[in-house]
Amino acid sequence: MNIWVYVLRRLLYVVPILLGVCLIIFVLFNVVAGDPTHLLLGKHATARQMAELRHELGLDRPWFYQYFDLVKSAFTFDFGRSWSTKQTISTMISEGALPSLTLTIPGFVITTILSVSLSLLVSFYRGSFFDKSSVIFCVGLMSISSLAYILFGQWFFAYYMDWFEISGYDSGFPNFIPYIQLPVLIWVILSIGPDLRFYRTVMLDEVYQDYVRTARSKGLNEKVILFKHVLKNAMIPIVTYVVIQIPFLILGALLIESFFGIPGLGGITLNAINSSDFPVIRAMTILSAVAYILFSVLTDVLYTVVDPRVRLK
Amino acid sequence: MSEKVLEVKNLKVEFNTDRGVATAVNGVNFDVIKGKTVGIVGESGSGKSVSALSIMRLIPNPPGRISAGEILFKGENLLNIPMEDMRRIRGNKIAMIFQEPMTSLNPVFTVGNQIEEVLELHQSHLSSKERREKAIDMLRLVGIPSPEQRVGEYPHQMSGGMRQRVMIAMALSCEPDVLIADEPTTALDVTIQAQILELMNKLQKELGMGIIMITHDLGVVAETCDDVAVMYCGQIVEHADVKTLFNHPQHPYTKGLIESIPSFDSTTGEKREKLATIEGMVPSLFDLPQGCNFQDRCEFATDECKTKEPSLTPIATEHEVSCFNPLK
Amino acid sequence: MENAQAVTTNINKPREEKSKSLWRHAFETIMKDKMAVVSILIFLSYSAIALLTTFDLVAGDWAKEVGGSYTAPSAEHWFGTDIFGRSVMAKTLKGTQVAMSIGLFTALISGFIGVLLGAIAGFYGGKVDEVIVWFYTTFSSIPSIMLLVAITFILGKGLLAVYLALGFTSWVSLCRLIRGEVMRHKDREYVHAATAIGGNDFRKLFKHILPNVLHIVIINFSLQFQVAIKSEVILSYLGLGVQGRPSWGTMIDDAKLELARGVWWQLAAATLAMFVIVLSLNILGDALRDALDPKLKGK
Repeated sequence: MNIWVYVLRRLLYVVPILLGVCLIIFVLFNVVAGDPTHLLLGKHATARQMAELRHELGLDRPWFYQYFDLVKSAFTFDFGRSWSTKQTISTMISEGALPSLTLTIPGFVITTILSVSLSLLVSFYRGSFFDKSSVIFCVGLMSISSLAYILFGQWFFAYYMDWFEISGYDSGFPNFIPYIQLPVLIWVILSIGPDLRFYRTVMLDEVYQDYVRTARSKGLNEKVILFKHVLKNAMIPIVTYVVIQIPFLILGALLIESFFGIPGLGGITLNAINSSDFPVIRAMTILSAVAYILFSVLTDVLYTVVDPRVRLK
Repeated sequence: MSEKVLEVKNLKVEFNTDRGVATAVNGVNFDVIKGKTVGIVGESGSGKSVSALSIMRLIPNPPGRISAGEILFKGENLLNIPMEDMRRIRGNKIAMIFQEPMTSLNPVFTVGNQIEEVLELHQSHLSSKERREKAIDMLRLVGIPSPEQRVGEYPHQMSGGMRQRVMIAMALSCEPDVLIADEPTTALDVTIQAQILELMNKLQKELGMGIIMITHDLGVVAETCDDVAVMYCGQIVEHADVKTLFNHPQHPYTKGLIESIPSFDSTTGEKREKLATIEGMVPSLFDLPQGCNFQDRCEFATDECKTKEPSLTPIATEHEVSCFNPLK
Repeated sequence: MENAQAVTTNINKPREEKSKSLWRHAFETIMKDKMAVVSILIFLSYSAIALLTTFDLVAGDWAKEVGGSYTAPSAEHWFGTDIFGRSVMAKTLKGTQVAMSIGLFTALISGFIGVLLGAIAGFYGGKVDEVIVWFYTTFSSIPSIMLLVAITFILGKGLLAVYLALGFTSWVSLCRLIRGEVMRHKDREYVHAATAIGGNDFRKLFKHILPNVLHIVIINFSLQFQVAIKSEVILSYLGLGVQGRPSWGTMIDDAKLELARGVWWQLAAATLAMFVIVLSLNILGDALRDALDPKLKGK
């Protein structure tokens, strides 16, 4: 089967998922959460004020119109305006994406390189003290709340030691660099535990395969076996794991951004949550779901490209 | 006089497990003669594969460990040489093929690549073009049709039999002195099995290597081996040339194995109605009985078998058996 | 490794009945693993503390003012006091109750949904399966933090809302695993045998299939338990956590205002308390997985 036919079929399968996502969001925000006019106008609003606002927000129309608007916004990315800042949400998103990426891309790249290299190293010394302590190290890192890392990191390294900027952001290269150093460091510490653990399992899964024994029986040394035979096989899950994380990079880091005052999408989302700004929360939810779905299609497609065994069904 | 290329002497291999130390191979001796095939037969867990892997020094350590013995390749003890020298022998002087042709090849490299890799390692004087040509030649040698095209294919594009042929091509590409075949046909269809065995016999005649054929299948032994060692619980219980072994088995276990071949009766040559089986179970390696390991399953067991351990003793020229009451 | 396994299989003969020996073997393996045993002991101690605080036998006086505002740790108050002069030690102990109950109920809720939907999808297949797969694919496309926020908006604040929100958002991975396993077991002979002697679907599913996927549920339970404890912190930070009683999440969240004044003990106490239990559950989860299902490694 042609790869493009496969891509098309995979994309068609996206439609029911996307409709489903919109349905869940619609049910959560428009049906169950109830009337947002109370939230907007406060307790002392008159019935007339409320009715006017409902009309303005389009809440007086039949539910399927409202649902259709939601679905439409998933395709047009026209999410209306924020309740609290009155800005169009699409502008907020396009302005917030870049600051998020200046934090998440360096963090992601450093973590991935570091954890893949470390995982090769520990699988080379598998079963040794070094390997065992790496597992404990990962699990230990993962056992501390991310909020604790952020609070401690910001207080100790930026405030107490004064090594980094405490908070703030400046757009444009290289102005932003001093502001992202500590956030990137914290990102790396937060994600290296699970990543190293994952990559180690991937490597160890391969190391015990029969083809490794064959490679040894050919007379290859362990280094060649690891870097050539094992790594090439491990690339399949590694690529999958990397690609599926990309949408989360665009969406930024909720906590880190808000603590360090980075005006990215994560911070925007957090502010919206704090101020019950439904349109923004809804928009961010749709956006992340769409990104996630598209990237899982991309992962599947890449899978067929990287792995010669996968035959398109 | 025949030329011994490989001598295994008093080999002992132990595994550390949760339940203690298991001696998987216990004092095994056999020789590999140039141009001849020695078969090592036994049930799974009898130590035959472990013996084979020990020769290549491929026993996973931990948990495994070669605790005693010598493996002499052309007079040199392979257990004493540095790993680097061992790597120069692997795939070059001693090659090995495995039971699982489906998983033994690396799925993400083409078969040509995998054959060329051996050549690159051990015959570094060849240019990359020559390596490709040799890979194609090897594929042709093992009877793969249109090898020029097949050389660029991935393992998953081939059938099990084809893949085992590729494994053989890879193993033989440096014309080794010894080929270790660990259940090479077990995973294959019966008709393919016969083809692969025939191919190995043919290539042995052409290239003159000694073969160690590890198998649980006496049919394979009859077809390929010159010399046979029967293993039980990590020890060789009977060792003879193939004709003697089939016609005059001396150990009750060997006789039981032969009688359980689903074809013809060993004495009358008539097709039997019912298959004979060996009663009982292989004892646990942690719980080996005192005396002969086979006593519980042996109809001829005496008190002597329960107290004293038999050892491999010659009873005729080129025929040894480890039994106090060998069959007549 | 292949050969080591061959040896081991031989060693284990004669074989006992599969599931029984699996559990016994797993139990023996875990008991031999010192770290896993220590983890179990820690888990039991935390559970005991949680129970005792529930009946006010421990830290019942957590709300009492025992010293000045923000007194540094001393021999009398190991973790100092908070802004209202309450003992941080007592608050940490009391917080165990919230943490352990969140872990328990979240793991139960997500386990229940995951097993139910997974078993139904795997067992009935066809359209039912398609709908359930569609549902969880859809569900898992939405970032769980957003779902958490939405659900707590709807349910309001409080402990029950936290249980439900965390439980409702963490069942998908278990559901996937159970669905796959049930599909695998459905066509096994013993299930057909059950059909032959006239077992109904419900009986078949609960009597013959579920015991065979129980190990996945147990492994998942220890995983969800600790993930929930960690998530409580995030919910507290978002202002969606528990109210009116101490929890580790609110204590850590308080630290955002305290650290600048040099008050580190509340953050330290809550982080340490959480670290010990989450680490133990992680180690225990790994040990359970290795003992019960080596196949699941890393999943």
